[in-house]
Amino acid sequence: MSEIIIFGAVTGSIYAMLAVGFTLIFGVARILNLAHGSFYALGAYGTYALTSIGGLPLWQAALLSVIGVALFGVFVERFLIRPMRKSQLAVLMISLAVALIVEQMLFLVFGSEYRNVPAFIDDKFTIAGVDIAGQRLLTLAVSAISIGALYVFIQTTRLGSAILAISQDPEAAQYMGIPADRVFCLVMALSAALAALAGIMAGPFLSVNPSMHLLPIVKAFAIVVVGGLGSIPGSILAAFMLGYAETVVAYLVSTSWTEIVSVLATLLMLVLRPAGMFGKRAAF
Amino acid sequence: MRHKTFDAAGGVIAFAILALLPVIFSSGYLIGVLTVAAIYGIWAVSWDFMSGLTGRENFGHSLFIGVGAYAAGFLNTSFGFGPWWSLPAAMAVAVLFALLMGFPTLRLKGPYFALAMLSGAVIMQRLMLIFWEYTGGEEGISGIEPLLRSPLHFYWFVLAALAAVTLLLVLLARSKWGLILRAIRGDEATCLAAGINITFYKIASLAISAAFAGLGGALYAHYQLQVSPQLFAVVTSITIITMVYVGGMASIYGAVGGALLLTLMTELLRDFGEWRLMIYSLILIAILFFLPNGFIAPAWRSLRERLSSASPSNRRKTPAAAQSHAIGGSATGRETA
Repeated sequence: MSEIIIFGAVTGSIYAMLAVGFTLIFGVARILNLAHGSFYALGAYGTYALTSIGGLPLWQAALLSVIGVALFGVFVERFLIRPMRKSQLAVLMISLAVALIVEQMLFLVFGSEYRNVPAFIDDKFTIAGVDIAGQRLLTLAVSAISIGALYVFIQTTRLGSAILAISQDPEAAQYMGIPADRVFCLVMALSAALAALAGIMAGPFLSVNPSMHLLPIVKAFAIVVVGGLGSIPGSILAAFMLGYAETVVAYLVSTSWTEIVSVLATLLMLVLRPAGMFGKRAAF
Repeated sequence: MRHKTFDAAGGVIAFAILALLPVIFSSGYLIGVLTVAAIYGIWAVSWDFMSGLTGRENFGHSLFIGVGAYAAGFLNTSFGFGPWWSLPAAMAVAVLFALLMGFPTLRLKGPYFALAMLSGAVIMQRLMLIFWEYTGGEEGISGIEPLLRSPLHFYWFVLAALAAVTLLLVLLARSKWGLILRAIRGDEATCLAAGINITFYKIASLAISAAFAGLGGALYAHYQLQVSPQLFAVVTSITIITMVYVGGMASIYGAVGGALLLTLMTELLRDFGEWRLMIYSLILIAILFFLPNGFIAPAWRSLRERLSSASPSNRRKTPAAAQSHAIGGSATGRETA
């Protein structure tokens, strides 16, 4: 029982980092970014490459990875997505094309075998009688800190208010003098950085291979649908719900069934309450 | 001459050329490439009918392809049915999945519908791998019987199927059905106010789209003589959408041209080996930037205009009228025919 509580929390925290970034870029810029999983993958692979090939210490590699992925996200938004904004299909297609290109590049450079991303903390701890790797506990802590910091940033700073304004009404915000394009860049950078951080934290104990971007996208979408589009608290809550649901299924049934949970949750939510739990904007 | 006459003539000529190509060049390789292109054509045309007309882009078309193919595989190997039973069975299974996925997801708008269908395809792929004892896992099912012993005859059969499906869907698209689907793309609320049962039309068009996708899947299974979870991959769905894009959204016949062009391009890129998929994605991005209305359908329309304005019946019109008739054809982003 206590295993489920703790491991469910770890899974939920990873999903929360992924989902918050996904719902942020959607809520603010109305972009359903199918390359979000690629940020997750690039974070993990970047850290792997910088430590094993570049020989950098882990902390530096992780920091550089996060910054690099954030810059990549800004590049994708500025040069690939923004010109396509007239057509939602085009935005989806181009973000998916980016995801495919990144997957192919990772495959060409690193091959398809699973890689070992080094962990920050190698020791194991025991909490409430449960053996847990230090890396998983660190993930929980990093997730809480980063999402908390993001929330404080958005609620208290002027830039955060600009982000909120754009998400409520882009035109009115622009009349107020808020540069929408620059806000989009910033939000994309934050979203990508969170996803990369999730990849770096989760890399040591989840699989790292070129196709690792696909399932996070499916799950992030499920979480965002359940939690309500554009709602950060909704995404966090739904992320933990999904994390716990998957952990329970993994313990009671088998690990192979966990992916079904997310698609079932999505379909159920769509049928019962399409706006999600806290959604201000429904999906229809 | 009217549009329909031109279109019919163009279609007949195109399919005649396609049918005769392997006879002229007599190459087993060419037959193989053209067969695959024709099957992709069936998939692309079925996608365009639903998603091109209603504007609900379905990113999980590979789901219907895969279940059709696996139905064919199971029926033929595990249950021992003759290969010809696969075709109706695959269509039935695909329609079943369309109804299952359609009811909860069709109320969603654009990107959400796309992602929901994508999720469905991804999950199906995972399921095939999870239940590997029944489905053969990564390697899938092999040892499927071919439908016809001669590859050339099979190619002609697939080509005939493609022609039949295209004709049927073009006729449907130009009928009241197509008009309603386009109206749904425009504004659902107005359709409801006009008393149209949009739920029926949306689900029915998804079911039709799925049925032919499944048919293509079964044909593919009997061509490759095996099925694998790769059929459910996102790449398949994206490839098909790209083909329709190149062909011109909502034109239906353009999708056939798009399928041919892209299959040929894939073959030409075969020398690049592992770089192929990446070059493909880069080309996709280039198409999105430079050819937003596609290539085949706009080209055919301008050809048709030039041919029809050269014909005697049109010379009676004043130059101004003929000019505006030609311009009006490409003013809107999405064409009607």
